[in-house]
Amino acid sequence: MKNILKIMNLNLYYDEFQALKDINIDIENNKVTALIGPSGCGKSTFLKCLNRMNDLIEICSIFGEIEYKEENIYKPNYDVINLRTKVGMVFQKPNPFPMSIFDNVAYGPRCQGIKEKKRLEEIVISSLKSAALYEEVKDRMKKSALSLSGGQQQRLCIARAIAMEPEVILMDEPTSSLDPIATLRIEELINELKKKYTIIIVTHSMQQAARISDNTAFFLMGELIEFNKTDKIFTTPLQQKTEDYITGRFG
Amino acid sequence: MNSIKHKGDSIILTQKKNKKEIIDSVVRLLFLITTILSASFIILIIIFISIKGIVPFVTDNNGIGRVDIITFLTGRVWLTGTAFQSNLYSVGFIIINTLYIAFLALMISMPIGVLTALFIAKVAPKKIAEFLRTVVELLASIPSIVYGLFGSGVILVFVYNLAEAFNIQSKGGNSVMATVLVLALMTLPTITAISEVSIRSVGKDIELGSLALGATKTQTNFKVILTSAKSGIFASAILGIGRALGEATAVSLVAGNAKSGPSLGIFDITSTLTSTMLEGLKETTGIDYDIRFSVGIILMIVILITNLILNFIKRKVGNVDVK
Amino acid sequence: MSNKQKIIDIFQQALTYLAASVGAITLFMIIFFVFSNGYKLLDFGLLVNDYHAKFYNGGIEDEISYSNTIRPNNLDDEVFYSQKWGIGLKDDNDREGNPIIIVDFIADDSPLKNIYDKNNEEYEPLLLETGHLLSKISFYDKQTALTKYGAEYMIEALNSSDTFREIVYSSLGGGIRGSIITTFYLIGMTMAIALPIGIFTAIYLNEFAPKNKITSLLRSLIETLTGVPSIIFGLMGLAVFVPLTIQMTEATSANIISGSLTLAVILLPVIIRSTEESLKIVPDSFRSASLALGANHTQTTFKVVLPSAFPGIMTGTLLAVGRVIGESAALIFAIGTAVKDDISIFGKSTTLSVHIWSLMKDEPANIELASTIAVIILMIVLLLNIIVKFISKKLIKDLY
Repeated sequence: MKNILKIMNLNLYYDEFQALKDINIDIENNKVTALIGPSGCGKSTFLKCLNRMNDLIEICSIFGEIEYKEENIYKPNYDVINLRTKVGMVFQKPNPFPMSIFDNVAYGPRCQGIKEKKRLEEIVISSLKSAALYEEVKDRMKKSALSLSGGQQQRLCIARAIAMEPEVILMDEPTSSLDPIATLRIEELINELKKKYTIIIVTHSMQQAARISDNTAFFLMGELIEFNKTDKIFTTPLQQKTEDYITGRFG
Repeated sequence: MNSIKHKGDSIILTQKKNKKEIIDSVVRLLFLITTILSASFIILIIIFISIKGIVPFVTDNNGIGRVDIITFLTGRVWLTGTAFQSNLYSVGFIIINTLYIAFLALMISMPIGVLTALFIAKVAPKKIAEFLRTVVELLASIPSIVYGLFGSGVILVFVYNLAEAFNIQSKGGNSVMATVLVLALMTLPTITAISEVSIRSVGKDIELGSLALGATKTQTNFKVILTSAKSGIFASAILGIGRALGEATAVSLVAGNAKSGPSLGIFDITSTLTSTMLEGLKETTGIDYDIRFSVGIILMIVILITNLILNFIKRKVGNVDVK
Repeated sequence: MSNKQKIIDIFQQALTYLAASVGAITLFMIIFFVFSNGYKLLDFGLLVNDYHAKFYNGGIEDEISYSNTIRPNNLDDEVFYSQKWGIGLKDDNDREGNPIIIVDFIADDSPLKNIYDKNNEEYEPLLLETGHLLSKISFYDKQTALTKYGAEYMIEALNSSDTFREIVYSSLGGGIRGSIITTFYLIGMTMAIALPIGIFTAIYLNEFAPKNKITSLLRSLIETLTGVPSIIFGLMGLAVFVPLTIQMTEATSANIISGSLTLAVILLPVIIRSTEESLKIVPDSFRSASLALGANHTQTTFKVVLPSAFPGIMTGTLLAVGRVIGESAALIFAIGTAVKDDISIFGKSTTLSVHIWSLMKDEPANIELASTIAVIILMIVLLLNIIVKFISKKLIKDLY
């Protein structure tokens, strides 16, 4: 199974407004896929379809199919809760819970019914290590997560997602509220993580997409304009609109 | 001509301006005086109640003798002897009664209030939430005397029958339990309203963060939303306990006015600082009158200390909330 | 999602439903209890009658001239009528539930129309009217007819007797006119004191006050008032305002003035806060625009800011009125608990709330009359709250 996610003829409406038009895309295993495009082009909306976070918006209606491991996640009676444990998400602004660092990471496993203290400790430590945060917080696991810096908070949120042992991690502009140094650390982390996880990242920065992704999808006005290997997109785009965007003629 | 006229205009303007400035400063002064007046009342209350309340401890009360402050604070009988002829007053047991009752009332109203708030803010459909919000507002607006009336007409009967079921003869239902139930009902709207505001103000991003981790809506509500709102929930508890400690008329109708104690059994009659202050107030001089002010001082100190302790705990617990 | 988790979820969700129903049920029970106990006595007479019944003791001076009026057709079946004495009597119960005999009809030529006051040296005439209660009628030649024997017996006694010694009758008591008047006095006087002080204070704090430590001290002193229980305000009223009013007016005890002063202090933080909140939502651009047009601070405040804040101040005032009607603990100290019929602002009396408390503290407690008063209080307070909700909703609509 080369493609973990297959999106077929995806259309999405907010009331009357069509936010996504006929999207077809296959996401490769253990690769970083970047979604780029100007604000309001639907890339974040698209990302939220992949773990059905759009379900929470009442006026949102979705048509088409998204197959995760060859099963349509929009079919009736599909276990959404389970899907969200397999397809993790990291948000634009770090959103740690107002609890201790330990409790933040242990939250997901606890929700899944893991109560054994030792097991939780193992999960928390390995997740924090994977998120390259362990060394910085190992002495203050009981301190509030809100006492961390912005970049640390975001890595904590990544650790929190990793603790669920997901297969896919969705990242919605995870560095947009961080300073350049913190951004760099997250990017390094993403490079590490792709060995184990499939990562789909929405980004505003084309440089970031070029630096970290293997594949890039360019969205415009709810349409997928071009999807290809990242180096192809940035060197020899097939579409005029893509070229206009990456050379900065609009956006 | 033109230039002269111009000059005249500007003179009038400056005169007007001066007049305006004078009015401004007079008005400002007037408003400042009312503000200082408003602010002075709390000081007035403290001073006058202290002066009156200290009398029984520092004078010989027209020959009856000085009230001993240690006995007053620790004793287990309200009055040994007859009013106006005795200086043997004690509120020790009443302090314990008051705290005990307020604590039990909060034990009931806190979980119900917080869960109601959670229901209104996160669980209920919009229409039902709006309906319940109105219910809570109306409950909050019902005067305490009506709660007292409801207490003596309904809760006393209920408690009396309950006690009978346990083969206990209660004094017409007047009891710790009846008082606790009335106070629980009275503090419920306060706790619900304030908790609801703090639950509603929990960031959407935190809620989404939990859902994205595969937590169910209910898990999110109970584990993340309530934790995030705990500072506000604690604030509601502080207000609730303040109301429970200070409530007077409703309590006086269901407590049973125990003259000794402390009353710890839930079917025992009891008394609180406030119900004691209201009891048998007929004369307007003498020790039986002055001693109510002493009880008033104790009430204020009890409320103050409770508030300080709860605020301290709130800071400790709320540590996690520091942003 | 595991089944166990599903069950826990359903259980926890059910808990919230259960908790939320407690509040709704409580409100329903309170309203049901108060109305079911109170509606029986709720009539217009209750609102205009005195609380204390007045007793009259009448005799007939001259020779008795009997009545010729036959029983009118419009009298109810349960009325017992004596043509000889021209009077129709009916059995009933008073507001305390005790049996009474009520005068249902009295003819113009009834000898009982010509009675004089036996307790008065001057032989002043008395006026027996329909609605009066007969306590007893005594004769020279037979046994006295008392209320407890019933109306029928009393009519028989009248018919079979040719002599007359005296009649004792009274007005119907148990009315709440006095408490209603006191409540109105108290609302008016309290508002007259608290509104200007509260609004001026709010204006000062919001529009004029420099941002410094003194201002925040003043502010926190005022806010502290909200945490003080009302019984403590009552003590202050007793210690400060009662002696003050005794000194300055003709009052000799706790009185309505001392009560309103006490209530005014209780309401100050309420009025200040609601006024300030409504001042805060007046956009700064209004102020700048007015100042830019050459208006001074005072003009800006009174002509631009205050009118915009008016609906907010209005809701604050209505809530404050609700508080006055509902307040009991403070007033027990500050104007006393004696139910009065002749109301003077220099004397003791009770508001509706304190009237309830007095009734409930009596032995035995009069729950029915207390509930009737509670019905009135509840209706006013709930109505006020609905109006406030309506105004604030409209206000929000207008703003956005």
